[in-house]
Amino acid sequence: MSAIDHYINAVIVRGTAEAQEDGSAAVEAHHLLLAIASLDDTAAHRVLTSASLGRQTIREALGREFEHSLNAVGVSLASFDLPTPSRDPKHSPKIGPSARLALERGFAAATGKKDLRPAHLLLGVLNTEIGTVPRALALAGVDRVGLMARARETLASESW
Amino acid sequence: MSAEDVPVPNDPSDALAAVVALRRLADQLEDAAVEQAMRSGWSWPEVAEALGVTRQAVHKKHAKRLIAGGVALRRRQ
Repeated sequence: MSAIDHYINAVIVRGTAEAQEDGSAAVEAHHLLLAIASLDDTAAHRVLTSASLGRQTIREALGREFEHSLNAVGVSLASFDLPTPSRDPKHSPKIGPSARLALERGFAAATGKKDLRPAHLLLGVLNTEIGTVPRALALAGVDRVGLMARARETLASESW
Repeated sequence: MSAEDVPVPNDPSDALAAVVALRRLADQLEDAAVEQAMRSGWSWPEVAEALGVTRQAVHKKHAKRLIAGGVALRRRQ
């Protein structure tokens, strides 16, 4: 397997663990973003950290997006005091449609398999105005388009 | 909160995101509520009837994680 195959596999494994932690039935695009933020030594990771977007910051932004979206229809998360449910450690969430789209967009951002690098996958997750990721970033005051521009710059200047 | 106070999002993206968030909240609430019921000694048919789903559906969805969580499940009513 090439380095990028290992990286894609690591993103999916890490993203699956994030989905499991949420009790989510599927791995979604925002789980891939959390995975990219968790795997260091890549330009994608450096782009995120340069915008102060570590895994924990992204988790908090996602939490705020969840609350904000519920508030829009008059539901307050604060009124629910849910105990943490038990999880089946053997249950493995499948790749959901939003994660699949993000991966496809990442692959499409590269000029071919040999060109494909972690920053392309980050571009794939960021390159949409619709869904949880852009909403969470906007609420956190993150310039998503600027982040994409930085990812493209690193692709021009960095090999990984 | 009265019906007039419940906001209706004007922006389609807010309305659609609310659907996603409500589904997620409903899933979380179901996981917590089913576990609470089973820990309190409810049976699968009782939980299924309360949720308006089949016993097979609720068992398939929750049994493994409850067993993993050490919940003592009732075999018979």
